[in-house]
Amino acid sequence: MQSSASLTISDLWIERGERDLCKGLSFSVQPGEVVRILGENGAGKSSLLKIIAGVLSPLEGKILYSGEDVTLDRTSLQQDAIYLGHSVGVKGLLTVAENLRWYCPDISISILYSVLTQLDLIDLVDVLVKKLSAGQARRVALARLWLTKKTLWLLDEPFASLDVGGVALLEERIQQHVLLGGLVILTTHQDLMSITPHDVVLLS
Amino acid sequence: MTYSSFFVSEFLVLWRRKQDVFNALLFFIIVVALFPIGINSSPDFLAPAAAGIVWCAAVLAILMAVESIFKEDYLDGSLEQLVVSGLSLPLLILLKVAAQWLVVVLPLLVIIPLLSEMLYLPSSGFWVLIMTLIVGTPSLFFIGVIGAALTVSIKQGAMLVMLLILPFYLPVIIFSTLAVKATQSGLPYSGLLAMLLAMSLLSLVISPFMTAIVVKASVN
Ligand SMILES: Nc1ncnc2c1ncn2[C@@H]1O[C@H](COP(=O)(O)OP(=O)(O)OP(=O)(O)O)[C@@H](O)[C@H]1O
Ligand SMILES: [Mg+2]
Repeated sequence: MQSSASLTISDLWIERGERDLCKGLSFSVQPGEVVRILGENGAGKSSLLKIIAGVLSPLEGKILYSGEDVTLDRTSLQQDAIYLGHSVGVKGLLTVAENLRWYCPDISISILYSVLTQLDLIDLVDVLVKKLSAGQARRVALARLWLTKKTLWLLDEPFASLDVGGVALLEERIQQHVLLGGLVILTTHQDLMSITPHDVVLLS
Repeated sequence: MTYSSFFVSEFLVLWRRKQDVFNALLFFIIVVALFPIGINSSPDFLAPAAAGIVWCAAVLAILMAVESIFKEDYLDGSLEQLVVSGLSLPLLILLKVAAQWLVVVLPLLVIIPLLSEMLYLPSSGFWVLIMTLIVGTPSLFFIGVIGAALTVSIKQGAMLVMLLILPFYLPVIIFSTLAVKATQSGLPYSGLLAMLLAMSLLSLVISPFMTAIVVKASVN
């Protein structure tokens, strides 16, 4: 994990489906900061995260990661980031363990098992993900946050379909991460219990 | 994610979907078997037509396999994860196609001795047919994968893929069947094989980059 990473967005202009979602958006994320993006349904929160992650490109504006301009080539940002979107990217035909091995091949069995125990997934290690509930599948995707040492977390509604225990666990993990100097950008329609984020509001 | 863990997981998924591979193989066998039954079972008709029959059936089976190559990844979001993985997307696509090729074409090759007996293909022609399949089918996959990426976000994309890419398959089919016909009439065939190889290499170089661009456009 990079301890002095920072993300700066300046003058971002997002257009999607011929509609301007935001124009001249600027904000920055410093080490140890949680930024929450607020806005109504369809305001462009997911689009903004996708742009930072490099799934989409902005019409105009700059994205700087640790001082380096990554607007055109997002590779260096991507190598240090985790992006979790609405569809979480776990394969239904792989088991829980196989999915996590795919994303984090270097992880040792003992660490994998201890994380899965924390997340209440230990009994499901060898179950195909397509046989899990929505919340369990999301826990599998979120397990990557425990298993990898990436600095920048881009989480699109990470609390969706989690139960109360799951929400508390994830909030605790996010706090641990920012205490170590990590960067978190998330969107959520829920209130956060233990985290005090900086809010960025997208007006529609 | 690393390139090797991606390759391993691709094989695991293909293994879990072995029924699909088996279906494509069965389809291939049925198409080939219908010709002697439906048209003419005499060696005079079948021997010259054998390479053409095998190739047409192989093209159909490969189309079926390649058309849905990104479908599941698109739906569960893992295609998006490939785009944001920080790894080279063209290389990941190349690995994916390679895994798919191995899993679809190797069983075809295994079953061909049986089918060529059925079609009275002479043994000289048999080896050339095998060679054209090994050298020619990669280009079918590399061309097909561009079409599959173009139509991945469309619900009823299968037919569109076929219409889109079938014209590009024609040269491969023509050169392959010509090569087998050439051996059967005692003519040199290495030039035709070289053409097939050239097409496969060209599509190997171009297709992953084009597919990567199309995939990026499709996932948004
Ligand atoms: N694939 C797409 N193609 C074209 N336009 C899209 C696409 N996806 C979303 N949009 C449009 O972009 C706008 C922003 O969508 P986005 O998903 O970013 O909203 P959001 O803020 O995440 O909403 P929610 O709170 O519902 O998740 C919406 O008005 C939507 O109509
Ligand atoms: Mg959203």
